[in-house]
Amino acid sequence: MPLQEPVLTKRIPTPPFGDFSQRKLNSYADFVATGGYVALKKALDMEPSAIIDAVKASELRGRGGAGFPAGVKWSFLPPQDGKPRYLAVNADESEPGTFKDRMLLDFDPHILLEGIAICMRACQLDTAYIYIRREYHQQAKILNNAIQEAYANNIFGENSIMGKVNDRSPNCYVHRGAGAYICGEETALLNSLEGQRGWPRIKPPFPAVAGAFGRPTIINNVETLAMTGPVIDKGADWFKTMGVARPEGVPIHVPASYGPKLVGISGHVNRPGVYEENLGVTVREMIENYAGGMRNGKKFKAAVPGGIAMGVLGTDQIDAPLDFDIGKKFACLGLGTAGIIVMDQDTDMVAVARNVVRFFSHESCGQCTPCREGSNWAYKTLMRIEEGEGTTADLDLLLEVSGSQGSMPGTTICGLADGTNWAVKTILNKFWGEFESRVKPSSVPGISLPILV
Amino acid sequence: MPWITKNSGSMQIETRDEPYLDDALKAELEANIITRYPDRRAAMLPTLHAVQHKVGWLPAQALKEIGEFLGTSPAQVMDTASFYEEYWLKPKGKYVVWVCQSITCELMDRETLMSKVKAKLGIEPGQTTDDGKFTLMNVECLGSCGTAPCALVNEKLHENLSADNVEAILDSLE
Repeated sequence: MPLQEPVLTKRIPTPPFGDFSQRKLNSYADFVATGGYVALKKALDMEPSAIIDAVKASELRGRGGAGFPAGVKWSFLPPQDGKPRYLAVNADESEPGTFKDRMLLDFDPHILLEGIAICMRACQLDTAYIYIRREYHQQAKILNNAIQEAYANNIFGENSIMGKVNDRSPNCYVHRGAGAYICGEETALLNSLEGQRGWPRIKPPFPAVAGAFGRPTIINNVETLAMTGPVIDKGADWFKTMGVARPEGVPIHVPASYGPKLVGISGHVNRPGVYEENLGVTVREMIENYAGGMRNGKKFKAAVPGGIAMGVLGTDQIDAPLDFDIGKKFACLGLGTAGIIVMDQDTDMVAVARNVVRFFSHESCGQCTPCREGSNWAYKTLMRIEEGEGTTADLDLLLEVSGSQGSMPGTTICGLADGTNWAVKTILNKFWGEFESRVKPSSVPGISLPILV
Repeated sequence: MPWITKNSGSMQIETRDEPYLDDALKAELEANIITRYPDRRAAMLPTLHAVQHKVGWLPAQALKEIGEFLGTSPAQVMDTASFYEEYWLKPKGKYVVWVCQSITCELMDRETLMSKVKAKLGIEPGQTTDDGKFTLMNVECLGSCGTAPCALVNEKLHENLSADNVEAILDSLE
């Protein structure tokens, strides 16, 4: 069932409920006039633990890529000890194909600030840092203005309606990055927040126990926090009328895919942009009902389900529903950020693989050798294949490295190497013929590896 | 200054008497930025941004001054500054043109766009024009895939670019 009424896009006109051209920035006054900060007031009347329980009951899952249940994450915090506790908001949206948080910040920054305040209240956090990527110059300005409005209206600051948290006035600051994709990884973000290079940390300790400045820290994506307002306002039961329920027989601890999701769609479609739809919508529905169909009447060839680290969906997988189980069912890494990149029949998949791997080799932070060296070698190999100089041995090597735990995947601190290899192996496996027709037979006699599709 | 010996033991850094991180900037940072963090060193990124905004890039002397200001070693400042793509450890042009090269932009024909920009400016990515006006850069995803191909010129994002409209944008820059 399609989305009945807009949730996150309530104030951001989006087809079919509104038109892109009517989008404008919502000020504090606009936000309050349309039911804003009602959820925060409601949260202030609740015990902090009751807010966490409400978010848990809604089974709201993280919208930043990993899909970890937000309420469960919030409950990992140790008991208060009177010292500071932090919220780090992940607005370092850098995954190719992902531009949903940009839309929220562009037009409705207060929906994020309300979510931040609710999270600070629920988890008893006294300082929030919004880590926004450097390239979002305009969005950082909007956010700074919105924060000023929020201070002026006592959402944050000395006279905050939240009172004192950990004996401190609740504060919210923008912290701007400096152009590094890896800082979207939660522990790299913390290092960058502390003024160091953005190198991911080894876990444990998890950030909820020892995060920013060695203190308990919650890290959530912009969209996840923005969604907590509506969840608190309208309740878990309302939230669970949307999206995909747990299939029958699946135990209760397995999280389902409830709620609406911002879906960014880009590439070879007529009307790219950010739309909102219930989880479970298919790629075909997104292309045909929202994005105005394929550009120039071309045929669909492939799509990235949500950020390129998730790999690709093949030509016959256009009916894949976008929910958190997409990875298991359609041989890709997962839903990711639901930033779909659509490719038409004329797309050269070898070039796509080369571009994607170049991205990861460029953005590898250099801390772990398998990722730093491996992604660069994979890039060189793919360039060779694209130039027509590759051999079947190159393909075998790419498949072996990307498909086996312990070479590149599974040997690094963070998931960047895994993302690189999911992209490589899904593109290779799903478009094998295209790669095979571009390479020469290997001159080195050897074992030919079985090809797993 | 350990980083200097990495390249060459005989390499000298240029210094000037006037500090890059002057008292006015220090006072501003002290009042508005340092107070946000429990640790002075956490103000590293904002301080680097502020100095770069004022000077245009980050000379070695400025890194040393930032180290003193934040109570850390110049090596630590260099360590952070050298990691991030947007900190310039050598001078750049007045306008930096960052053309996105990630997947959606490539699908939407950023190659034609890039050729046009290269021809117009007469430089390759990574280079600066002789008059110091433009620096051209390839950059990974700018987060504007819905309006690809896109490019960032200093702080301004230009969307839905093509070989046809990019010339007017470059011409309009003083």
